[in-house]
Amino acid sequence: MSHLLEAIGLEKTFRSHGREVHAVADVSLRLSAGEALGIVGESGCGKTTTARMLLRLEEVSAGTILFENDDITHLRGAALRQFRARAQLVFQNPFDALNPRFSIRRSLTEPLRNFGVPRAEHTDRIHDALARVRLTPPAAWLDRHPHELSGGQLQRVVLARALLPGPRLIVADEPVSMLDVSVRAGILNLLREARDTLGLGAIYISHDLALIRYVCERTIVMYLGRIVEEGPTAELIAAPAHPYTRALVAAVPVAHVDQDRSALPIRGNLSDAPRTGAGCAFQDRCLHAMARCSDETPALRMISPGRKVACHLDGVPS
Amino acid sequence: MSLLEIDDLRVTYAGRVRAVDGVTLDVPQGSITGLVGESGCGKSTLGRALMGVLPGVGAITGGRIVFEGRDILALSERERRALRWRRMSFIPQTAMNALDPVQRLSAQMREVLMERGGLSRQDAALRAVELFRLVGLDPARLAAYPHQFSGGMRQRASIALALALSPALVIADEPVTALDVIVQRQILDVLRHLQSSLGLAMILVTHDMAVVAYACDRVAVMYAGQIVETGPVAEVLARPLHPYTMGLTHAFPDVHDAHMTLVPIEGSPPSLLNPPPGCRFAARCPFADARCHAEAPPPRMLAPDHRVACFHAEDAPALRRRAAEPATWLTVP
Repeated sequence: MSHLLEAIGLEKTFRSHGREVHAVADVSLRLSAGEALGIVGESGCGKTTTARMLLRLEEVSAGTILFENDDITHLRGAALRQFRARAQLVFQNPFDALNPRFSIRRSLTEPLRNFGVPRAEHTDRIHDALARVRLTPPAAWLDRHPHELSGGQLQRVVLARALLPGPRLIVADEPVSMLDVSVRAGILNLLREARDTLGLGAIYISHDLALIRYVCERTIVMYLGRIVEEGPTAELIAAPAHPYTRALVAAVPVAHVDQDRSALPIRGNLSDAPRTGAGCAFQDRCLHAMARCSDETPALRMISPGRKVACHLDGVPS
Repeated sequence: MSLLEIDDLRVTYAGRVRAVDGVTLDVPQGSITGLVGESGCGKSTLGRALMGVLPGVGAITGGRIVFEGRDILALSERERRALRWRRMSFIPQTAMNALDPVQRLSAQMREVLMERGGLSRQDAALRAVELFRLVGLDPARLAAYPHQFSGGMRQRASIALALALSPALVIADEPVTALDVIVQRQILDVLRHLQSSLGLAMILVTHDMAVVAYACDRVAVMYAGQIVETGPVAEVLARPLHPYTMGLTHAFPDVHDAHMTLVPIEGSPPSLLNPPPGCRFAARCPFADARCHAEAPPPRMLAPDHRVACFHAEDAPALRRRAAEPATWLTVP
C-alpha cells in the first residue's frame, strides 16, 4: 500500500556546548490519506521538532521523508513551494498566527497568491474554506481584523487558511491549547470533519492524550527524542506496553470524582533524566528497570499487528 | 464558621469594566475549593482581590471579605500587609513570577522567613530545609538559582515559598496550567498532600474541570464576573444545575471514553464593560427564555450545600439530558 507520508530514520542533532545533542533520534512513521496520527509526549520529547521536519520547516540531520512517494527531504525552490501547498501547518497560537493589520480577506488571499491560484478562483475558494469552518456568511467576516475576533473565531480563520491551498496533509501542533475550554470542542470537531470530508492525512502533536484520543486512531509516544511506543490509540491507552506510556495515561486528569489518585508509576523529574549514555533513555525513571536496560538501548519492536514498543520488558507489570 | 466569607464582592477595572460583579462565596477551613471558569471570567481577579494585589487600574468597589472573622477590606494597608504570607499566600501560574531569577532559592526563602516571619537566621535555614522536603525537593538544591530548575521544580519551590510562614489560606492561580501532564499531576499531588497534612484551605483557580475533579473538595463555577454554581465537587459534576456547568462537562475529551462526542458551547462571553441586564449566560444558553434575558437570576440553594443562579434549575435533570446533545447547543443564535 502506498502512503501519503513516510519518514524513515529521521534524526535531528544540535550542537550544544560542543556536545552533540539528539533532539530526535531514529524516528520512522507512516501516514495514509484520511488517517489521523497523534504524536504525544512531554516538552522536550522531540514531537514538535519531528513535525517541523516532516513539513520541511526544519532541516533534517539524517533520514528520508517521502510525500506521495516523492523524496522531499531536500526539496528546494519551486518544488518546495509546491510541497508547502500540499502540506499545511495549523498554528498553536491563533493570536499571533495572523497579521493584526491585515483584514481576514487579505490574510486568506495571501496564501492563494503565493501558491499561484488564479485570481478568478479566489472568491469561491475563500467562501468554501470559511463555510468549512462555519464562519458564515463570509461577508460578515472578510472585512474584519484579528482584534475583532475571539480566540475560537481566530483559530477557525487559521484553519480556513490552512485548508485554502487544498492540502493533502495537515499538521496541528497543540491546536487548542491557547483556546478557552468552551470553544476547544468546536475546533476539534472541525478538524475531524475537515479530515473526513476532504480525506486529508492529519498529524496532531500534543501532550494531552485525551485530546489525541478524540482525534487520532493511531498514536506515537515519544520520550527524549525517540519513539517508545506506537499503536492504535484506544489499545495504547487501555493497555500501555511501555512503562512511560503507562505513566502518561495515568497522569491525564479525568472529570470524575472517582478516579485513581495513587502515586504515578514513574520516578523523578524529566530534567534529571540523562540525554546521553548507553541503554534505555527512560531507565532512571522506570520502576521496572533491569541490568539489561542500562547496557542495551531497546529497539522498537512489533508486539502485535500495528503495535510496537521500545522496551526490554515483556509487558508492563501492573 | 468559614475561614473566608466573600459577600457581594465587586471589582472594577478603570472604573468601568466589572470584572468581578457581586461574588458571594464561602471557603471552609481545611478544604480545596476550585474556582473554575474561562479566561476573562474574573477568577484571577477574584484571587488577586483576596490577596490585596490588584493591578493599579483595579479597585474593589463593593462587598466584604471576611477572613478569620475580620473584615479585611476595613484594614489599613499595613495590617493588610501583615496578613500576606503569614495568614494567606499566593502561588502564581508561572513560578518565575514568584521567584527572583538572580537570587539563590536559599536567599529567597531566608528573606521571607526572616523579614516577613521574624525568624532568626538559624531557624530560617532549618525551616527552609523542612519546606523543601515538604514539597518534594532535595534540600541540597536550596543553593540553586531558579533557572537551574525544571518547570515542575520551580513550581514546587514557589509552593514552598507560599507555605513558608504557615498560612491558613493559599490561593493558587492556575498552578499547573503551564506544566506537562506528568508534572501537573505531581504538583497536584503535592498540593493535596499539603492540604491534608497541614489542614490548609486552598483556592485553586483553574480553567480545567478535570483538575477540579482530581484535586478539589468544592467548586465554584464563574462566568462573566459572577459565580453561577457552587457545591461539593462530586455533587456538581454528577448533577450540574447550571447550563454553563452542564456545557463544560461535555466540552472536555475523556481519555478513557471511546465514543464521546464533544459539545462546544457556541458564542463567547459578554463584554464586562456593559454586561446584559439578565443572566450573563443567556445569549449562549439553549434553554434561555424571555425572563432570562430581562432579569438576573439570584443564587438559590437547591440541594444541600449546592447553590445555583438559574431560573430553570428545577428542570435540571431534563436539561442535563438535552445538554449532552450537540444539536441542542446549535440552536443558540
